[in-house]
Amino acid sequence: MSDARSELEARLREIGESRYHHRHPFNLRMHEGTLSPEELRTWARNRYYYQTRIPKKDSAILAKEGTDTPFRREWIGRIHDHDGEKPGEGGLALWLDLAEAVGCARGEVEGLHQVLPGVREACDAYVAFVESHDLLESVAASLTELFASDIMKVRLAAFEKHYPWVDAAGLRYFRTRTEQAPRDAAFGLGFVLDHAETHEARERCVAALERKCEILWSLLDAVEAAGRQPALVPHAQVRFDEAEGRTLVVLPERAVALNESARELLDLCDGSRSAEALACEIAHRHPEAESAYPDAHDFLEHMEKAGVLSSA
Amino acid sequence: MDTPRPLNLIAELTYRCPLRCAYCSNPLEWADVRDGLDADAWGRVMREAARLGVIHVGLTGGEPTVRRDLGEIVGHAAGAGLYVHLVTAGAPILPEGLDPLIERGLRSVQLSIQDADPAASDAMAGAPSFERKLDFARAVRARDLPLTLNVVLHRGNLERVDAILELARRLDAQRLELAHVQYYGWALLNRAALLPSRAQLDRALERVEAARARGPSPEILIAMPDYHRERPKPCMGGWGRKMLVVDPAGRVLPCHAAAGLPGLEFWSVAERPLAECWADAPGMNAFRGEDWMREPCRHCPERERDHGGCRCQAFALAGDASATDPVCGLAPDRSAILAARRTAEAADEPPLRHRSPSTSRRKRSESVRN
Repeated sequence: MSDARSELEARLREIGESRYHHRHPFNLRMHEGTLSPEELRTWARNRYYYQTRIPKKDSAILAKEGTDTPFRREWIGRIHDHDGEKPGEGGLALWLDLAEAVGCARGEVEGLHQVLPGVREACDAYVAFVESHDLLESVAASLTELFASDIMKVRLAAFEKHYPWVDAAGLRYFRTRTEQAPRDAAFGLGFVLDHAETHEARERCVAALERKCEILWSLLDAVEAAGRQPALVPHAQVRFDEAEGRTLVVLPERAVALNESARELLDLCDGSRSAEALACEIAHRHPEAESAYPDAHDFLEHMEKAGVLSSA
Repeated sequence: MDTPRPLNLIAELTYRCPLRCAYCSNPLEWADVRDGLDADAWGRVMREAARLGVIHVGLTGGEPTVRRDLGEIVGHAAGAGLYVHLVTAGAPILPEGLDPLIERGLRSVQLSIQDADPAASDAMAGAPSFERKLDFARAVRARDLPLTLNVVLHRGNLERVDAILELARRLDAQRLELAHVQYYGWALLNRAALLPSRAQLDRALERVEAARARGPSPEILIAMPDYHRERPKPCMGGWGRKMLVVDPAGRVLPCHAAAGLPGLEFWSVAERPLAECWADAPGMNAFRGEDWMREPCRHCPERERDHGGCRCQAFALAGDASATDPVCGLAPDRSAILAARRTAEAADEPPLRHRSPSTSRRKRSESVRN
């Protein structure tokens, strides 16, 4: 039994080593100091959406079959940590400080109007995972906290060294998490090791943590993609199709029809501006269209897959 | 019925070609069809095609680059607003020959290569051409034009599909078209030497799937030999529906092979406007829509997908262009397909009969029905 226990712990830690997002190219660039201020802002604004999902995820865990008083007493502390005892306190407020320190407007971040579709999808997938899996798997999925403390330390040092323009007061989130994460992770790990009593249960825990790593990874994929600078491929022909009254982008052996708003966005794709900047521009031009921002990102991604746009 | 809007013009500028492939899709009687349209006449075709709604034009042949006025024709096509695509064997055009075509509006190139093995490629082409094709492919990419590599598959090269996939990757092609031989004309004449066995085909399909799993580039398109299928292909997307072929003499056709069907009257752009040839020629309307269909097609739920299959194949194998495509598992004339499959399972391969002017003239009066 204790063999199986230590073997499971080793496997869970190995997943962190090989799949946690400390290896993601975007984080590597953040930590080596090569992100632009715009990229940092995109990241901070989008990662805030993740932060807002965490208390929801923890509430779902508290409501699960199998929790008892000692468990809930411990676990509810995460919600307090995140939401704070009063306004201006807690992890969410600290994250807003960070977002402000990298140059975001606090209200815009809080409003969640400019969340990348891929980020929204990833974060919602995490909450949905917890809602649809049992207590053991849900706690196992939270074990990315085992690796959070290390990345926070690296990040803190990187910000101090490479992004001196970011006000140090904005970095309090990282400092707080380096203390909270190990404590939370120790409890979560103990719970998983105690309760994963069968081979089948241990496999489910491993799969849950892998899934969570995938979710964090895809969040950064979306943030990274927002920094690409799309341009129309050189051999494309943009023309009006009189027969059906629409614009066509013609490529070898295919043609893509564009409506008016797609045409407007495509005309902005000159290779000098990021997908994020383009989507913000479109949202700014069309304040009446609520989903203009995510629609623009979806469209740019779709056009890149269709071979209409390419990025340097 | 309303005349459909053609989207694609296949402009067969000439049937002349320096290569002698034994599966050439030109008619057996190609040597009798002269280049009937000069550059200005082609210019008129391009403008009229654009007015009909055509988006893409493929300049093909034969080998379109044997025409000295190709640049002019490209200019006319681009001037008409069409997306200009060159379909070539990579000879006689030289790499620097691309530049004036690009200046006049050429946008993309499809290059045919017969095999990944140089000797086998040259043997099928009947001329030393492999190295020259590779140079041409590199020249296309060096000029930042999208390149589609087209390789016609048959039992002689199917085993080298891995090498073909690797070649496409090495040449930085955007697309690889693995187009199995279609059995008309020259290919039908050589069918016993070209049709692969089912096992050969399955092995090749596995290799293609493995390549797709390795990455998105190049995009791989594969056309299965319909002889090994249970349902017919939606030939040309339907007769006279989306594709418009103009042959070197100026005849407006629904496909490359339809001029060989007896009793059909097609019209020529040398005598009438393109729109009239497309909409009103009796031959163009002979198999448009579904009224011509017999059972089992007439009430078949799949007729909307396959449009009844291929009329040329029905004529070649069943002797009747209105018959159900014999490829279909429900076709009364299926036996011809089953017999061809049995031959393909046997090991013996008769020698290939390559395309040449003299064989073409000999075939003029022969009726070729296998």
